[in-house]
Amino acid sequence: MGNILIVTEIQKGRIRDASYELASYAASVASASGRAVKSLVTGSGVAGLAEEFAKKGGGEVLLAEHPLLENYSVDALAPTIRAAIDAADADLVLISNTPTGWDVAPRIAAGLDCAFVSDGFAVEAAGDGFAFMRRVFNGKLDARVVASGGKVVATMQPGGTAAFAGSTDGSVTPLSVDLDEGAMRTRFVEIKQSEAKGVDLTKASIIVSGGRGVGAPEKFPEVIQPLADALGGAMGASRPVVDAGWLPHEYQVGSSGQVVTPKLYIAAGISGAIQHLVGMKASNFIVAINKDPDAPIFEVADLGVVGDLFEIVPALTAAVTAAKS
Amino acid sequence: MKILVCLKQVPHQDARLDIAPDGTWIQESNIKFEINSYDTYALEEALKTKDASEGEVVVVSIGPDRVTQALRTALGMGADRAVHVKDEAANGSDALGVAKILAAVAKQESPDLIYMGLMSDDGNFAAVAPMLAELVGIPHTTAAVGIESGDGKLTVEREIEGGAREVVELNTPCLVAVQSGLNQVRYASLKGIMAAKKKPLDVKTVSDLGLADQVGAGAARVEIEKISPPVKGDSAEILQGSTDEIVASLVNKIKELGLL
Repeated sequence: MGNILIVTEIQKGRIRDASYELASYAASVASASGRAVKSLVTGSGVAGLAEEFAKKGGGEVLLAEHPLLENYSVDALAPTIRAAIDAADADLVLISNTPTGWDVAPRIAAGLDCAFVSDGFAVEAAGDGFAFMRRVFNGKLDARVVASGGKVVATMQPGGTAAFAGSTDGSVTPLSVDLDEGAMRTRFVEIKQSEAKGVDLTKASIIVSGGRGVGAPEKFPEVIQPLADALGGAMGASRPVVDAGWLPHEYQVGSSGQVVTPKLYIAAGISGAIQHLVGMKASNFIVAINKDPDAPIFEVADLGVVGDLFEIVPALTAAVTAAKS
Repeated sequence: MKILVCLKQVPHQDARLDIAPDGTWIQESNIKFEINSYDTYALEEALKTKDASEGEVVVVSIGPDRVTQALRTALGMGADRAVHVKDEAANGSDALGVAKILAAVAKQESPDLIYMGLMSDDGNFAAVAPMLAELVGIPHTTAAVGIESGDGKLTVEREIEGGAREVVELNTPCLVAVQSGLNQVRYASLKGIMAAKKKPLDVKTVSDLGLADQVGAGAARVEIEKISPPVKGDSAEILQGSTDEIVASLVNKIKELGLL
């Protein structure tokens, strides 16, 4: 039996909440199976963050500092994580399912020829391996997945559990890494922030969003926008709508678009893929209108209507307009 | 320029998802299948590159007979050649098993670029692309929303959180896993579909690829033990009644919230 290695991630000068969530998963597996928790902190000038994490769930922290670890390059991070897995004698490696995590983690598993599970929201020791809960079919079904046969590399869904709130007896040990700039076949260039183009949904107190169920681009100005206008709110959309080019990206609500928390969120023809739910589930009150009674959107909604949006939405627009006059 | 595009055929987005009797996957009989949505953007990007600079686009897919249809669709859209890995010995492969099969094909083809989708719409593992790059020994990136080719390199914008983009530069040959929405995917024209019938479609077995006993259920270290409907939280109160009654309840609720 090996140990557990948490691979932390630094964002905007601090260790991400998602890394503290990994510490929660690690603590529960550790107490049930007798494994020790170890962590990896990478970056440049991050010794202070490593000290802090060691005391807040990280346990024995391996600190890898190098200028090439300041921004993400798979060619710098993958060998560093490999070195940490060896140094920690880890048989469970936990990485957050972030854009960095999902890019590097499978590559490490392939290099180690070991089991890999992605985007888990629960993990436990099971037999000679580990069992995970994760979603399949874009959130329509859950799967219990068992990984065994040696080391297991896993990415965990950010927000899948509460951040670790206790304290640990921690220590920080430097991990020496030998990285050569010339060997970087994948190089970080820059981060481009999103350009706000007039649609700032984060400030709207009412949002009416349409999804794939709206069916055609012209239905947005015909059906969705009038309800948003009647309520004095803004119009939003889900990812498939934006991918299809029906509306520009600035209308997109979701993990890759805007994360919104209006007083009222009306989702019409949106099934509720995880990526959308992440962007709107913190809204104060959610109304979902969908034909499919099993659509995941109904799980985060407060009120649901199982029916045809083309019947309900125009009728609601008319009723709201009438109620105002 | 030779581009290898990895495609997966998955249950249609609107297919009924009934859990199979053994509880580990859905019933696949009597449902429609389609090319994984993410992979269609990968194919389009490869075809665009070929349109602009000539070259060859080879598509590869693993699966039973039904996969022929996905490959014919890709050929109809403009791919030049298809490889179908059809072998029951591949059944039950985990993501690494799939990556090993694709790596064997990639080594035979030695493409300049490998394009594929970020993840599949069924398993949602998002694992095969980085694994394949590691096994082939080439650099990779994921979640591409913009790709520009230069001399011996690609510059890729990858989607990260909050609508921001991370720009990375990769040496070629390399592998890019694309995000949905990368481009506008073309349809197969009637002429394309007719022409596709004459395009080569090679069928290979796991043994042809030198992978007997290395892939499939026996070699898998990851398996789905059980699938189930998501555990319901405090789900929505579903409004019943006529449209008028439902709308009246909604208006009352909006008034209660102080928004009307």
